[in-house]
Amino acid sequence: MILPVGKYIDKKISFNSKSEDENKLAYDKDTLLKNNFVTRTRIGMNKLTKAFTEYPAKGLVGSKNSNFYEFLTMGTVPYLIGSATLMAIFNSANKYYGAFEKNKAAVLGNKMALGVLFYGILKSVSKSLTDIPVQLATGIDTQLPYAKVNYELPEGPDDYDITSIEYHKVGESVDFTRWDQLYGDPQKGEKVNFRYDKIAKKNGLGENLNDSDQEVKPIYKEVLVKSNLARSFSSYMWAAVGVALAFQKPWEEYFRIATLKFWKPKEFGHSLKVFGRSFVDSAKELYKGPADALTHFEKHVGKYLIGAAAGITVLGVLNTLHITKKPPKHNEVLDKNKESVVS
Amino acid sequence: MRTNLIQSYLTNNSAVQQYNSDKIVKDFDVNKELANRTFIKPLPSNGKLVKKNLFYAPAELFKDMRYDMKALGHSIKGEANDHELGRLNDLGMKLGGLGIATYLYARKATPLTKIMEFVGLGSFFAAMDIWPKLALQLPAYLVHGFDIRQQYEDNYGRKKPVFLDHQFIPWDLYSDEEINKIGDRLRVPKDIPNRREFIQEKMRKIALQNNTMWMLTAGFATPIMSALICNALTAPIQKHQDGQINRQAEGLLVHFNDEIAKYDISERTTAFSKLLDDNLGKPVSGELFEQIHSNLSRGLDPVVATSLRTDLENMLPPADSFNFTNETLENVRNVLKEHFSTLPLSDEELSAIIPDNDSIRKAFTDRNLIKDGVDEFSDHSKIIQGLLKDKIAAFTSANPDNPNISGLNFRFRQLLHSNAHGVDSPLAKAFKTSPAAILNENVISSLKGISETLSNFNVKVDILDRYAYLKVAQAPETILANSWNDISEDLLKFFNFTDKEIARSRIDREAAGSILRQKIENIAADDKTYGEFVDNLSRKLSALFEKTSSLDVAGDDTVNSYTKTVTTAYDTAADSLRKANMHSAANALAGFPGQSVEASAKHIQLSFVNDRISGVKSSFYRLLNTVDMYRRIAKLNDRVPNVLDDKMPRVAKEELVEMCKLLLLDGHTSDYAEKFYALRSLDINPPENLSPEQLREFYSQIEVKDGKVINRHLGQRSADELAELSNDSGFFKKAMELMYGEEIHTDTNARIKNSAFYQEFLRYRDDVLNHLGYDDCFAKPHHLAGHYVDSSSEKRFLKMGCALDEMFNKLCKQKFNNRVWLKMFGGFGAGLLGVTVLSQFFMGKMKVPESVKENK
Repeated sequence: MILPVGKYIDKKISFNSKSEDENKLAYDKDTLLKNNFVTRTRIGMNKLTKAFTEYPAKGLVGSKNSNFYEFLTMGTVPYLIGSATLMAIFNSANKYYGAFEKNKAAVLGNKMALGVLFYGILKSVSKSLTDIPVQLATGIDTQLPYAKVNYELPEGPDDYDITSIEYHKVGESVDFTRWDQLYGDPQKGEKVNFRYDKIAKKNGLGENLNDSDQEVKPIYKEVLVKSNLARSFSSYMWAAVGVALAFQKPWEEYFRIATLKFWKPKEFGHSLKVFGRSFVDSAKELYKGPADALTHFEKHVGKYLIGAAAGITVLGVLNTLHITKKPPKHNEVLDKNKESVVS
Repeated sequence: MRTNLIQSYLTNNSAVQQYNSDKIVKDFDVNKELANRTFIKPLPSNGKLVKKNLFYAPAELFKDMRYDMKALGHSIKGEANDHELGRLNDLGMKLGGLGIATYLYARKATPLTKIMEFVGLGSFFAAMDIWPKLALQLPAYLVHGFDIRQQYEDNYGRKKPVFLDHQFIPWDLYSDEEINKIGDRLRVPKDIPNRREFIQEKMRKIALQNNTMWMLTAGFATPIMSALICNALTAPIQKHQDGQINRQAEGLLVHFNDEIAKYDISERTTAFSKLLDDNLGKPVSGELFEQIHSNLSRGLDPVVATSLRTDLENMLPPADSFNFTNETLENVRNVLKEHFSTLPLSDEELSAIIPDNDSIRKAFTDRNLIKDGVDEFSDHSKIIQGLLKDKIAAFTSANPDNPNISGLNFRFRQLLHSNAHGVDSPLAKAFKTSPAAILNENVISSLKGISETLSNFNVKVDILDRYAYLKVAQAPETILANSWNDISEDLLKFFNFTDKEIARSRIDREAAGSILRQKIENIAADDKTYGEFVDNLSRKLSALFEKTSSLDVAGDDTVNSYTKTVTTAYDTAADSLRKANMHSAANALAGFPGQSVEASAKHIQLSFVNDRISGVKSSFYRLLNTVDMYRRIAKLNDRVPNVLDDKMPRVAKEELVEMCKLLLLDGHTSDYAEKFYALRSLDINPPENLSPEQLREFYSQIEVKDGKVINRHLGQRSADELAELSNDSGFFKKAMELMYGEEIHTDTNARIKNSAFYQEFLRYRDDVLNHLGYDDCFAKPHHLAGHYVDSSSEKRFLKMGCALDEMFNKLCKQKFNNRVWLKMFGGFGAGLLGVTVLSQFFMGKMKVPESVKENK
């Protein structure tokens, strides 16, 4: 990038993300991160905080540095606010109702709120149902994160910190997958292709390949596309199962005694116990159907919903594992039994 | 893949020749570009801005669907791109939403709540789409003059928003002319340097600010907007559903025979025929009798089924009736032989113990016991016991040392007593080998006919039940329930309840009653308002009458008359049963011929519907009667009611009118049962030595102003000076007369006399008078010597209808709850919309560069 040198020549310009305030989690260049709980939590918190603070502020003033990543990250805002609003719609007016109506409305409102909660939880958790089997079977971690160092335009003459960190995933884009992040660093004693080697071995392409990266990339891309499809469809279906689970009658027992007052251990403990019991009973009722169901469909619709979610997940994973872009084995390229002419 | 120009240059233009896109700009000249040294730049874009309007919408929708299907195919093969995967994520969200709606649809009980699940889903996605268009795109277009959500189609046919990524905006898709036009709308001076860049930056800034606003507001707006859409759509959908249910119900009776034809009763009749044919010529055992009864009585109510059993018992003698023949005697001897054969006795010994056939036959013949239809075998048993005892005694005396003697006696006792309660002893079993009833061809033919009659009857009843359920069942969203909701919803409008009055009335029935009374008094006092009110109510009652006329109007001869169809179905079945000598079942079904049908299943079928409608209509007729009485009181000058004559003291008149006004608003049947227990003034007789003027004053008429009685005596005395005047029996009758007996006001009469419900309303008043108006009405049936009591607590309850203060209390509760919710979220939604729209005026603020000054 070209900077107006005249203005900045006597200033100490930082070309890395280490500002005075922020220096613990800084990166000098795009860096591959480990996909573990700590990293995921750290990235999640970072994105969540910025989605509610920095990015809207930049967007509202029309900053020239606002980008698509920030826009996408801000997608969390309507998701969370929308969930809270949906809960409020079904609950917040209840206090103005008479005692009987309040009671009746609260049952539905609580189920609705729980449904919103379960929707989010199951949608998020169910992604593992695709990611984990795919990773175990292919060695490809479709959710591998990396930190991207982004260079920005100065917002004004006094803006010296022109870097920002974005958290992406290597396989975030199937069109522009960050293959470079998967190469090893020889300076650290890593083999350049050691990650590709592992994947190649896992997928039966063989060991000690000269260019494992070239052989793995088509497979990697295929897995990314297929797992993305499986994750999209199955996670929303599991989210639907979450909502259906929340609408079962046994939850009403929990709603009667539910408390979040953890400083009252006895009541809180009892509440958790009843939550567990209601969860199990609700899951059973969802599967078996309500006792007062009149038609076959009413009785078994819960089963069908769970079956559809499970079916889509299994089909999605199987489709992902059915890799078609494997290169032919070297001994299959030329048939030794046939005469070949090389010009 | 498109060829890079640099590459083309390096390879001496060979690749350019290979590039064969028909989209490429036709006048592009590579040599000219190279000569101008401007070759290092991208090829001219083949993308285009997407023109969106309603005209293109269906085509765009179809195109998007086709794109999504292709994307799905590519994804399954692992060949999709980022854009396709993004589209499929949206598709997954809709699929999940559909899953939720389908599940909740199955869990909801009524058609409206079921359909609202899908409306909710649709409205949510609609809200997601509409909010940014309504609150951001449209205002931004009006204020700034360009579309902030403009989409473009790239070289690969992928549709994307132009301002999706602010680092990569395809500005080249906008011509200079378009940009300048937008600049003019943005009031960008024309003579600034780099005007296009400035306009672009301003547009970018505005779009970015709008996108950010979208993210910040969508979370609040989408659920609220979705809920408001659902709220607004509920009434029209309910109206549509109501029409559909009504048509569906009417169709059942209009096409009654077609509906019958849809049922397949052959399986049932065939199975029954097989049962009978398999048992042709066989005796009707208890088990077979139960099978026949069970088959015939399937679908019948227990009373008819019990009557059917009585008829069948006449046709097929009971299973415990047996024929006693020579074969039976032979069988008895064989059973005895078998019974004692368990003992180690020789054949000779056994022959000595078991009586021979001749002696058994003789003993039975002597006593005339060999006959048919025997259901009691004690005499038969005694004879066998006697014969056996004699034989065993003879054997014992002849063989005193035989070791089997004790065993013989033991087996003898076992022969007479069963080993379990309710089970026949071996001897009794031996007698019951030849059941008296035999299933012959005539009986089978008769039973088949009865089966067909009852199967057809069941089908008809099933259709009638469905019709009655759709119309009047005690369930939400039936025609009757919808009518109730429709009328009661409008009542608050007719009475012009304000928000404050609704808020107060919802607290309890007393508050509701007090406000309602004031309103009725005001309406009754004003000619114009009263006329409008009666017209409005009359219109609603006519609609209700029309909707239910096919159900409860006796003698209605139209094709969809429920009464007529029920009568025909029950009477036809009863006639067929009578022809088959099933009189008991026929009577249980349709009543005794020429007598009251009240104890029959037909009456239950009819009265269920009549009672449901009666309860609803009575509530609304009560309201009409109430406003009419208030009108009669408000207009005493027009005509003084007979009961308020000059023989009644004024204090009693005031008490009477006040009590009647209250009773019509809040009275229950119990108030009528206890004859309106009320504390009254003891001054019902004039004091002595009153002057004529004072006497006139004592019996003077009540005074009314603006619909309210100006009480001169009522309320003047404290409660301990008042008493229940139980000896004033006329007070109850006068109150009933004032409320229900007096002619309705001429204004009311003029406005409703041409209505369909007019006669029914007059009948209602008579019914209340006759079922609640006299002491006799409250006696239990048969408890009043010399009188027939036609009134029952059920009838009184149905005629009384809903107390008006309670009705309005509930209505106000519902209305209040809806309004609270609507105010809370409608207000918030409106505020959010306002803020979002106003924010446009603060967007795109930029310092305008100085104009280029012309050199002079």
